[in-house]
Amino acid sequence: MREQFEKDIGSLDAVFGFLRRFADQERLDARASYVLDLAVEEFFTNIVKYGRGTGNDVLLEAVRSGQTVTVRLEERTPEPFDVTRPTQTQFDIPFAERKPGGLGIHIAREMLDGLTYDYVDGTSRITLTKHLET
Amino acid sequence: MFSITVNDKGIIVLTGRFDASQVDAAREVFAKLESSAVVDFKDLDYISSAGLGVLLATQQRLKKGGKAMKLVHMNRMVRDVFKIARFDLIFEIE
Repeated sequence: MREQFEKDIGSLDAVFGFLRRFADQERLDARASYVLDLAVEEFFTNIVKYGRGTGNDVLLEAVRSGQTVTVRLEERTPEPFDVTRPTQTQFDIPFAERKPGGLGIHIAREMLDGLTYDYVDGTSRITLTKHLET
Repeated sequence: MFSITVNDKGIIVLTGRFDASQVDAAREVFAKLESSAVVDFKDLDYISSAGLGVLLATQQRLKKGGKAMKLVHMNRMVRDVFKIARFDLIFEIE
């Protein structure tokens, strides 16, 4: 399944709708579906907030191959811009000073089985992988 | 669909999906909180880091005054998200 979404937080409902249709089609279990929703939300919102894309759209593609699900987020960018890079998650600083920055990427990374970034022909591509339980 | 209400016992009840598009609505309710409170997660199906950020900011503000939120009835997936974020060290979770 592939679909394009406007780079806007208001697109999140439509993004979740896309993922729900994919989960129904592929009969994903509740845990896999939750992980994909969370990971896609975290990266989509990062692209909306910090992305350096030249276009106004993000392309989502979801594929199942055997017991592995792959979701790709793509946007046109003038140069590589890797929003998957680990950031300081602030676990070691006092509670009162802790901020949520970087938390979403950390949670997504922990729940996924694979996370890669590549840049090809002017397109930044984030690939999320989740293995399904048998 | 997400809703946040305060029931007649003063318990904050979260329902549905607490994602990045719901932050403003949630922040409005939590901003009014001035005393210790219980937050019921029984009907909350989903939370992302956006929701965690609202809860963290509220807990930090309350703790300055010696108050705190207690979180109850989380489902397994939501609890896993809290554990990965190490928010189980910040909140009392029952």
